[in-house]
Amino acid sequence: MSQTILEVDKLNKVYPNGTHALKGVSFNVKKGEFLVVIGLSGSGKSTLLRCINRLHEPTTGNILFEGNDITNIKGKPLRILRSRIGMIFQHFNLIPRKTVMTNVLTGTLSRTGVIKSILGTFSQEDKKKALELIDLVGLKGKENRRADNLSGGQQQRVAIARALMQNPSILLADEPVASLDPATSHSVMQYLRKVNEELGVTIVCNLHFLSLVREYATAVIALKDGNLIYEGGPSDIDENWFQTIYGEDAVEVTID
Amino acid sequence: MSNSEAVTLNQDKGAIKQMKRVVSAVAMDLFLWAYTLLVGYKIIYQKIIADMRYAEFTWNQPIYALAIGALVALALFFTKFSIGRATQGLYEDDDNKALTSQPFMFLGYFIILITFIAGLNISQVSMREFLSEAGLLGAQRIFTALLHPNFGIIEPAIFAAIETIYMAFIATIIAVPFAFLFGFMAARNLMSASPVLFAIYNLTRFLLNITRSIEPLVWAIIFSVWVGIGPFAGMLALCLHSVSSLAKLYSEQIENISEGPIEAMTATGAHPIQIIWFGVVPQIILPYLSFTIYRWDINVRMATVIGLVGGGGIGTMLMQYQGLAKWNEVGMLAITIAAIVWVMDWSSSRIRESIK
Repeated sequence: MSQTILEVDKLNKVYPNGTHALKGVSFNVKKGEFLVVIGLSGSGKSTLLRCINRLHEPTTGNILFEGNDITNIKGKPLRILRSRIGMIFQHFNLIPRKTVMTNVLTGTLSRTGVIKSILGTFSQEDKKKALELIDLVGLKGKENRRADNLSGGQQQRVAIARALMQNPSILLADEPVASLDPATSHSVMQYLRKVNEELGVTIVCNLHFLSLVREYATAVIALKDGNLIYEGGPSDIDENWFQTIYGEDAVEVTID
Repeated sequence: MSNSEAVTLNQDKGAIKQMKRVVSAVAMDLFLWAYTLLVGYKIIYQKIIADMRYAEFTWNQPIYALAIGALVALALFFTKFSIGRATQGLYEDDDNKALTSQPFMFLGYFIILITFIAGLNISQVSMREFLSEAGLLGAQRIFTALLHPNFGIIEPAIFAAIETIYMAFIATIIAVPFAFLFGFMAARNLMSASPVLFAIYNLTRFLLNITRSIEPLVWAIIFSVWVGIGPFAGMLALCLHSVSSLAKLYSEQIENISEGPIEAMTATGAHPIQIIWFGVVPQIILPYLSFTIYRWDINVRMATVIGLVGGGGIGTMLMQYQGLAKWNEVGMLAITIAAIVWVMDWSSSRIRESIK
């Protein structure tokens, strides 16, 4: 439990238009943690997640993944790194008009050859694993349905299965429930918890609702205007902290 | 970079942008005034008012017009009569006054009016000739012939039409792979990652714009000299024009796709080719099919272009009968062309609707 899997050190991100999205953010993620990042929209949460798998390039600072500095790697090493880090998104980002099975199998792209993947000849092993994962996220029997015909919560579960296909040691979740209704939100969060507890995948997740944070997180960090202003346990966020993070006038909204 | 540096940089950028706006505003005013003076003098004054038949032209005239235009433009630049300032958004918005009653708009109306008058004069619009007795008799003759088509040539006409449809099909099919490739190279969102890619993007865009802005008719003439008069020349002309038009439509489709799947594929550690195959292609394949069918439809309509260079098909037949002034046969061919265009148009729109 105490082994560090991810170290973020004095991370700065300035976008070409001059927006200073992250200002010297440093924190560690321990193996097996369910870390939740909270903060207002525009506080830098999404940027932070995207810097970890280098979808966005950090401006300065270092990121160590399993002890290796990954801040400047390029090409094949970068693709291998990304395959070790799963990611799910607010808008699911599934491939339209493709089946659930195909979508889940795209999680294997980094280890499937370019030509093989274009011809659609994925290995029997991968297909078997994809079926297991579809079962794991509760979508058994839906593998040949078109992914864009599923409901929002089901699509997000397909996205979780796709990320798990990568055999990730860490899973990034960028506001995974922000476009879902409260009941579906809990279902998706429970699958994430299952992935965390049963498969031992470390999770770094952006969230908006404090009630969800208290229920699912094992550790919390908070961002405000690109600065890290809180690092601690989910139960320590009291009324004062809440107002520091979300502003004086904020009122907590709960999700049941 | 510190925050204050970023702010100064932004201020500099703002000042440069403002400068650019002012320069283009002055240039626009100068051009408009030079145009107004030149048209006013050469056409409104010399041709219409003074009724000179052979007005002398020297290159001094446009130069004087530019010089005087520059003076007037500068003099009026600081008043409310500057169209350049208006189009560059340099006037403060006056919400109480409608745009159409702003002073500079009256200048705009005046320019449109003199352009209209000059246009009537240059196109030699003449109601007298349009309604002359001899002219009307000629019109009656040709319309009567066209409305009594010669059904005796229906068999060769249908065969020629089939030939045309196949030629248009081949021109489209050969164009597709090239357009597919160029479509990616001309898509801004895929090509702005590095300076090299961006240079390729600009070059592709430039070449596509040039080939597209030259009409298939002109390409047909060029290719008829290059490969000789025949179906091949016409096919090449349609094909080249199809490549550039399709590539443009394809690239716009790529620019409009959602970034989400691309981001997701990148995050799985996929190779760039896999990212395009799984993140881009599924989003564009149906619109591409729809554009391609539409292009086939257009190429059939352009059958007369193939005909112009003797490329066979219904276009050549039309040219032959028109040259012999056999208007009853021309009428038959016109009906056949209308029929195939209608059938192609109807079926292509049905296909495009069903694959949406």
